[in-house]
Amino acid sequence: MNMHVTEGHGVTWVQLDGRFDIEGAQAVDLRFSTLAGSAKALGVDLGGVSFLASMGVRTLMLTAKTMLRRGARLAVCGADENVEKVLRMTGFDEIVTLYPDREAAAAALTG
Amino acid sequence: MIAQDFAGSLEEAARAEAWAVEQSARLALPEAARFALSLCVEELFVNAVTHGRAARVRLALDADTLEFRDDGAAFDPTQAPAKRLNGAGDFEIGGFGTGLLQKFARRLDYRRADGWNVVRLAFV
Repeated sequence: MNMHVTEGHGVTWVQLDGRFDIEGAQAVDLRFSTLAGSAKALGVDLGGVSFLASMGVRTLMLTAKTMLRRGARLAVCGADENVEKVLRMTGFDEIVTLYPDREAAAAALTG
Repeated sequence: MIAQDFAGSLEEAARAEAWAVEQSARLALPEAARFALSLCVEELFVNAVTHGRAARVRLALDADTLEFRDDGAAFDPTQAPAKRLNGAGDFEIGGFGTGLLQKFARRLDYRRADGWNVVRLAFV
C-alpha cells in the first residue's frame, strides 16, 4: 500500500492507495505512529483504498487513540462503500467522523 | 473445489489473502463477493494464528463457498460476541474480526472435527 503525506493550511494529509490488509497495515504502521504523536490536525484520505480489514482498522484506531488523547484533530474521508461498512461495523465512526471528501474533512479540521 | 495449505503465521495469512484475491479473479467474482472473501480469509486466519496458535491452515474454495480449516484451539466464530467500539471513551482496541466475519459472510457454519476447526461460509 502506498502512503503519501503532504502539508497544507495547517493540516497534515495522508493519502492511502491500495489494500489496507495485513501487509498494508505493516507497511504504514510506523509512519502512522509517528504522525499520531506529532500532527496537530490529520486528515486521512481513504479514496484509493480498495480493501480494509481489522488489521487496517487497528492501525487507524491506534492513531485515533493517540491523537484524541493529546487533543489533536483527526478526520477520515473518501471511504468507498465496503470500506465505510467496515469502519461503521467496528464502531470507528463513534470516535472519528467520516467525511465524503477532502473538502468536507478540511472544513471540519480547520473550522 | 480448489484447496491450498498454509503454515500458521501472519506471513502466511498475507499469502492466503493473496491466494484468495487470485482465486477471486479466476472465478470472476463480483466486487462485493471479492471484498467479503478477502475479509473473511484475513479475519479467520489472524484469529487462528494469534488466538488459536494454529500451526496448519487449509483453505478450500468454490464459486460461492469457502471452507477454512485450522488445527488451533477450538473456537466457534458463530457464537463469539461481535465487538465494536462503544462511544468516544471506548478505546479497547482488538477483537473486531469476528464481528466483521459475521456481518460479511452470507452464511457461517462451524464444526470441530478430528482436532480441526472447520468453518464453512458463503460469500456470494
